Amino acid sequence: MTHWGATAGLSRGLLVAGAGLALAVLFGDAVLVVLMLPLALCGALGLLHRPRTEPRVHSRLAHLSLHEGQGTTSRLVLEDVGDVEAVTRVTGETPYVALRPAVGVTTGLIGPDGTVPDLHVSPRRWGRRVVGEERVGLVTPWAGYRWGPELISGQVMHVLPVTAPFDSRAEMPQPIGLVGAHRSRRVASGTEFSGIRPFQAGDRLRRVNWRVSLRVDVLHVVTTRAEEDSGVLIVVDALADYGISGGIDGEASSLDLTMRAAAALAEHHTRHGDRVGLRVVGAAGQAVGLGAGARHHRVILGTLAAVRPSVPTDPGGHRLNLRVSAGTVVMVLSPMLSDMLTTATAGLVRRGLPVMVIDTLPATTTPGARAGLRPELADLAWRMRRLERDNQLARLASTGCPVVPWRGPGTLDEVLRRLARRAQLPQVASR
Amino acid sequence: MKGRLTAGQWLLRALVAAMPVLAVLCTIGAGGAAPVWFVVLVAVLGLGWAAYPESAAGVAVLVLVLAWWGIGLRDGLDPWAVPATAAILTAHLAAVVSAYGPAQLPVDPPVARLWVRRGLAVFVPAPLLLLVATWLRGSPEPDGIWVLGLAGAFLAIVAASATFSRGRAAA
Repeated sequence: MTHWGATAGLSRGLLVAGAGLALAVLFGDAVLVVLMLPLALCGALGLLHRPRTEPRVHSRLAHLSLHEGQGTTSRLVLEDVGDVEAVTRVTGETPYVALRPAVGVTTGLIGPDGTVPDLHVSPRRWGRRVVGEERVGLVTPWAGYRWGPELISGQVMHVLPVTAPFDSRAEMPQPIGLVGAHRSRRVASGTEFSGIRPFQAGDRLRRVNWRVSLRVDVLHVVTTRAEEDSGVLIVVDALADYGISGGIDGEASSLDLTMRAAAALAEHHTRHGDRVGLRVVGAAGQAVGLGAGARHHRVILGTLAAVRPSVPTDPGGHRLNLRVSAGTVVMVLSPMLSDMLTTATAGLVRRGLPVMVIDTLPATTTPGARAGLRPELADLAWRMRRLERDNQLARLASTGCPVVPWRGPGTLDEVLRRLARRAQLPQVASR
Repeated sequence: MKGRLTAGQWLLRALVAAMPVLAVLCTIGAGGAAPVWFVVLVAVLGLGWAAYPESAAGVAVLVLVLAWWGIGLRDGLDPWAVPATAAILTAHLAAVVSAYGPAQLPVDPPVARLWVRRGLAVFVPAPLLLLVATWLRGSPEPDGIWVLGLAGAFLAIVAASATFSRGRAAA
């Protein structure tokens, strides 16, 4: 436990004053008393402010859940600090966390209401991060005594992936739910015009089209399409992270692109009333069932923030079961460098499900060569791996699974339209 | 000393390094120039003190300055003692402020202003004391005044040490 201790300034003041006084007496020279007098006063005043209470210190983050790039304040909470005049805060460098002041070191006087200088923190990359760990030092008036520096532990912050700009005006291929914003193939109560037909028993009178009925002398009614929601499953490849992440301000790694695209898709479909689910392909294998609403969206973002790139210890051979129910639109976000996920995606396509692959491998990714490996060899291996990947993607596309690179707004429009058109055709699903 | 110094820290540490040398050079005005080797010694110790403001180099360099004023000059009761006192105090306070945190610590303006005010407050008695001492210089010394002074100083040091020890024991 940290306690108060005399500062070097107090010791120096007293020692120099004592030495000066002793020399003055020894040599009978009054000028030495003049020279050491201010230091003696500083020392005496430092001693007079000897602290009598033990302060208690802990820090608190104003927000524990933020999006990448957002900022919050790390506040120091001090108790029993009546003897304290100034506080110094030194926080260590945390990867992907920006600080203000930039060096993470600040000092200041304690205000009359106990206010102390704040540290501002801003996470620059999604994930779970320990933020706010710092060393705190307190000083009494006249800097006679110092408490600390005491290590204050930080708090876990959930950094949610920032939502990449995304919007889509395309219909979902297979809306099968009860209510929603997508135009269904079924004719039912809705607002989208479908056609005009003769009146049948049970039709509502407000659906009667009087203009047509008068012209043909038979009652006709307007029919509309039902409006339904759709089930969207977002599959996130967390088997590995390719490329170097520079946080939100720098270059994006494959997992950065994947997370931000997944967050954007989840937000878009949740906003449009669809039911959205999440499967993370990785060691932890997190999953969120289909659901709708803002709360469900927050659950998805929280799950994305907890993702760590890792390979399952027992992936069940090369078979991966994504547990997708019929009628669900599957969006696979992956750099597609894993045979396991490619096979699983092809399996879903064979089942007749609308599946699309969103390629999240950054174009500028370079291989991370091991130490000792010749760079030209690593480069050659990487080119071969990319050729193999291109071949796999081409084969996947030939099975009817569209593969599109993530481009933000409009990435999926054309693909979804094609899938919607194809969904209206009769199909034979292999089982 | 780790990390890059801020502009404020550069200024403080420059004061810590330069002021003891200035205090020694003030003896030229008082009629007793210090030898070059002594000035160099003070400068080197001052640089060490500036690099490590909490080190014992600070005590060593200030005691050397006092010793030169006492031994080198003999009866240095001269107006040049006032700027020398200001230089010693400035070096001490600059070291105090720079020791508030690590080298990367920016100097907080309110903290700097507070210590400037405090420095002025503790500096004011020094020239007054010099005036009194100069005025009394020709007067005959009362018997045993220096013995009494020594005893008083000794008692003051003991009292200060006792208080200082209590503070450490409580810690």
